[in-house]
Amino acid sequence: MLSVSDRDRILEAMADCCAEEGYRATTVDSVLERAGVERESFEALFAGKEDCALAALNKILSETLARIATIDPRSESPNERRVREVETILQLLAMRASFARLGSIEARQAGTPRMRECYEAAVRVLALMMERAGPGAPGGGSSVTARAALGGAEALVRRELAIGGASNLPKLLPDFVYAALVPFVGQREALRQARLAARVAEEG
Amino acid sequence: MDTDRRDALLRAMLDELAHRGYEEMSVERASEVAGITAGEFAAEYRDKDECLFAAYDRLTEAMVEKASVGCDSDEPWPERIRSGLERLLEEVAAQPLMAEVLTRAFPGIRPAAYERYVALLGRFVPFMHEGRDYSEVDEELPGEVELLAVGAAEAIIFGEVDAGRAERLPRMMPEILFSVLVPFMGPDRAADEMRSAAAAT
Repeated sequence: MLSVSDRDRILEAMADCCAEEGYRATTVDSVLERAGVERESFEALFAGKEDCALAALNKILSETLARIATIDPRSESPNERRVREVETILQLLAMRASFARLGSIEARQAGTPRMRECYEAAVRVLALMMERAGPGAPGGGSSVTARAALGGAEALVRRELAIGGASNLPKLLPDFVYAALVPFVGQREALRQARLAARVAEEG
Repeated sequence: MDTDRRDALLRAMLDELAHRGYEEMSVERASEVAGITAGEFAAEYRDKDECLFAAYDRLTEAMVEKASVGCDSDEPWPERIRSGLERLLEEVAAQPLMAEVLTRAFPGIRPAAYERYVALLGRFVPFMHEGRDYSEVDEELPGEVELLAVGAAEAIIFGEVDAGRAERLPRMMPEILFSVLVPFMGPDRAADEMRSAAAAT
């Protein structure tokens, strides 16, 4: 009988190995060594390296969605709620930097086609969340607008993760809020929300 | 090794990477294509990685150069961004295989290679600073607004290259332009620029 913690230790080790060596150079052996788990346990849980990486991606994805779902929708305006959502995501990414790197960098740039699909599915969900923010941009309401705005935010996340400053992410909340809103609501309102977000970021 | 032969070697290294992937690529084959002996290679580069990283730096240098020529004029800032973006997209569309190397094949090798990609995006940030003068509000824009604009274009370019549709990028220029300008100018004026770019092409 396998405990839940074996699985968690393996997923954690997979994310950490990928953060250090990259997905390509990561081997099941290095994951096992890091996790301190026997090969039989790994094989009982995962079909191989890719399967394990996909499970790690699903873990960070479902954790993110679960956290967003726990934000109390009452007594908050839609915009405030959006700020809370972005804040929640940033805090989680900062806390789980290795998983965040696996999802946003390795899956996209080094992963197998199935890992990339996982990344793209997550991005589509986030882009849809952003499109809900406004009645449609003057940019013609094209799907490019939301995707591009999200791309700006992603570039910021990846830079922080790549240069090892994941803990800095929550402090950039106002920049993320501005990026998500400006194409849809304009500069004035996006800046106003960014200011509110700065207060939220200070309160922690 | 003279400049022409070094260029040929670096080019052949990138071709190897594009066609065979990092694990399967061969320094010997690349050297043979470029007419470089093993001794000459060893005199210049410690190993495959050192040569490959040099090749990537040269490729990114050429990309930045292409875009900056477009940005280098007396035109107002939005026009310069438009023409820099136009050149960049044409370059990417004309060389889909190198675009793939630029965005995925190389950065995916390992974290140290990915850092070069982050640095490449950073190279476009200075072109954006002047956009702050075009804001419609007095208040200072967020500190990272330049990278937000660069990342917006990168997301679209990466997506099209990755899907094997790099040839569509020049036609998408007006929409991408909108997304680059919007953090600086707001949606209404960025849309004006987008429409005038669409009319001009």
